[in-house]
Amino acid sequence: MYALVDCNNFFVSCERVFRPQLEGKAVVVLSNNDGCVVSRSNESKALGIRMCTPFYQVKHLVDKGVLVACSSNYTLYGDLSDRVMSILADTVPKIEIYSIDEAFLVLDGICPDEIPQMCRDLIYKIRKWVGIPVSIGVAPTKTLAKIASHFAKNYKGYKGLCMMETEEKRLKALSLTPIKDVWGIGRKLSAKMESCGIVTAFDFTCRPMDWVRKNFMLHGVRTWLELQGEVCVEEERPDKRKSICTSRSFAEMITDEKSLAAQVSDFAAKCARKLRQEGTAASQITVFLYTNRFREDLGQYYPSRSLRLPVAVNSTQEIVSAAVSLLHDIFRPGYQYKKAGVIVDDIVDGDSVQMPIFGYDIAERRKNDRISRIMDSINGREKNLVRLATQRDCLYSDGIRSDYRSRRYSTSLDDIIEIH
Amino acid sequence: MEDDKKEFAGTGLHPGFPSPAQDYMNPCIDLNKELVRHPAATFYGRVVSESMADAGVNEGDILVIDRSIEPSDGDLAVCFVDGEFSLRRIDSAQQDFSSFSVWGVVTYTIKKLYRK
Repeated sequence: MYALVDCNNFFVSCERVFRPQLEGKAVVVLSNNDGCVVSRSNESKALGIRMCTPFYQVKHLVDKGVLVACSSNYTLYGDLSDRVMSILADTVPKIEIYSIDEAFLVLDGICPDEIPQMCRDLIYKIRKWVGIPVSIGVAPTKTLAKIASHFAKNYKGYKGLCMMETEEKRLKALSLTPIKDVWGIGRKLSAKMESCGIVTAFDFTCRPMDWVRKNFMLHGVRTWLELQGEVCVEEERPDKRKSICTSRSFAEMITDEKSLAAQVSDFAAKCARKLRQEGTAASQITVFLYTNRFREDLGQYYPSRSLRLPVAVNSTQEIVSAAVSLLHDIFRPGYQYKKAGVIVDDIVDGDSVQMPIFGYDIAERRKNDRISRIMDSINGREKNLVRLATQRDCLYSDGIRSDYRSRRYSTSLDDIIEIH
Repeated sequence: MEDDKKEFAGTGLHPGFPSPAQDYMNPCIDLNKELVRHPAATFYGRVVSESMADAGVNEGDILVIDRSIEPSDGDLAVCFVDGEFSLRRIDSAQQDFSSFSVWGVVTYTIKKLYRK
């Protein structure tokens, strides 16, 4: 059995942990640069605000005081995500983190009678400890567990937990699930299915396997089998992961953040370019700094910090901006830095990048991909003719709009909550 | 804490003989480990008023807040009341929990004494 644990309206829920006054209000979180809506509270959904709505279209609601908008605060979301995942990892022997707000639990070896109570305890514990509401779907395969978690989230009666353990429940759920909502069925595939008269997941499972193989290849057959309760989606192999590291010792020690940012941006840009050359993308970015350990007369500081991104990326802009903000978090004045570096890992094939189900600014992403491609073609093999401004000496984050960003409540001592 | 005894030993080089204390060395006292029992549930907050001065908590103090603890009478807790976080001494006989919510229980106060 598998369980899919899904954080409800994750980014909005993170904002609410530190601003409980937002409970019960219509809240949205905006994408990078305040472009469009990427997370909505149930109240905003009820207002009819759709995923990926450009922000300017709902800004009037903010001005009227009907809606609260938050710029994205990935440092905060990443930290709360780590906390949720660590609770899950402490509870079951094996978890697979699927995205910033979702993880599969592998329930092999756990007594089936104990699963419902264990899941209810998890829902309670994550809400109490971290403040995040989660939904859990339990089923024999990952594809079915995803469907179960949708039911758990969208029907109040389940109180956050949907167990799909009987054949009757499975068939009922499949007949209520549109084919386009099935995990692994992208937009192209679902259009093709609909043209064949397949509307629900149940319709799909009624077709014979040979027909599925002929029309939808192995990928379709896998989904088809998974929907019947037969495990086909292999467990993640952690040994497939690798990382790319770009780092350098400086000729002269660096003391100011601006110069370090220029270096770190350069390293990040190199990592991004390497990812693109390989056709891969990374979802975790780490920045580290070293002082000179041979200079015992000077203060020593070896910070490092990682950021998990909601989707795997390989564009120069996204990786550089993440790296510069990480640098900003770990930089402390008063030290002489000798070395810095950027590591990207959790690397996946570029074309199998999983779109998170909370949506993503696709237009922005295409634009970034295009800019990166143009940079690559101008820069050719080795040279660095075209760079981002930050690779020189101004902070990239200066140019990014985040008019409504909350504080880094859980990761920066200057930003912690104020208590009266 | 019995098995958590800290031993300290010099790190000077002694060619020939390994230091007999080497097996007992711990890297250092890690306050994160000592003060934070549940890392996933622990957050920090800064006191901005003197309302709990009687309890020894003053403006500028940093509080270690553990959300995993079930509050019980006598605990100092961070509560959310009238749109802001404030400190309350839990007293179930006196308090009406419908008017505010407990956000987390305070486990430690960090006070800066050196004024430079």
